[in-house]
Amino acid sequence: MTRNRLYILLIVMSLLGYTWLISQFFIAENLKTNSVCLFKNITDIPCPSCGSTRSILEILKGNFLEALYINPLGFLGFAVLIIIPLWLLFDVLQKKHTLYLVFLRLEKNIKKTPIAIILILLIITNWIWNIAKNL
Amino acid sequence: MDSQKTDLFIISNSKYFESHHLPQIREQLLKLDNSKWGMIQTLQFQDPTTLLIVSLLVGTLGIDRFMIGDTGLGIGKLLTCGGFGIWAIVDLFLIMGATKEKNMAKLQQVIY
Repeated sequence: MTRNRLYILLIVMSLLGYTWLISQFFIAENLKTNSVCLFKNITDIPCPSCGSTRSILEILKGNFLEALYINPLGFLGFAVLIIIPLWLLFDVLQKKHTLYLVFLRLEKNIKKTPIAIILILLIITNWIWNIAKNL
Repeated sequence: MDSQKTDLFIISNSKYFESHHLPQIREQLLKLDNSKWGMIQTLQFQDPTTLLIVSLLVGTLGIDRFMIGDTGLGIGKLLTCGGFGIWAIVDLFLIMGATKEKNMAKLQQVIY
């Protein structure tokens, strides 16, 4: 993964994320489609990150507890959506690659067994909770 | 390394690499020292077809990307429901090529 490919991917993903959020924010409740999640549409089981959109929408309305109940990953998504575009802008304007270096270091650290096990357990716990809540 | 061993390697492992990489691999192996043959023979490569099946079944969770070692991309896919469903579909077409590239990188690491 080179710097430019990562940055293009991040730009596309943030644009998609914002378009998706804005469309969900303004579409009336009764017009909303069920889900774009392939996994949920095929298996009828919510995936670990199902409910992130609803969670972020609740955060935007200020209902933090409600957001935490729907899906805690919404907070992560919200933080990423705010930080990544700003960081990208900074890097591109300054012609630096700080974000790329951080990404590489994170990728290396996350593969270490203790950290990986904790993260996997957290995701699985969240997944079980999602299924139990029937999101 | 003699051409018999090189051809044996190419024949038994050609499905793990892009076809345009094969001439380059052959050339590199011919130049390689004989002592590295054992190491190269025991290298384990990821099967692109297996990855395609994994991508079909649990691509939205990013498992395919985790398997080939793209942990960062895997997390990205996991946290966005397979990139809003689009990335998961795009990856069905990209994952075999990506796997072959990773195999090539692995071989290069041993050669040098």
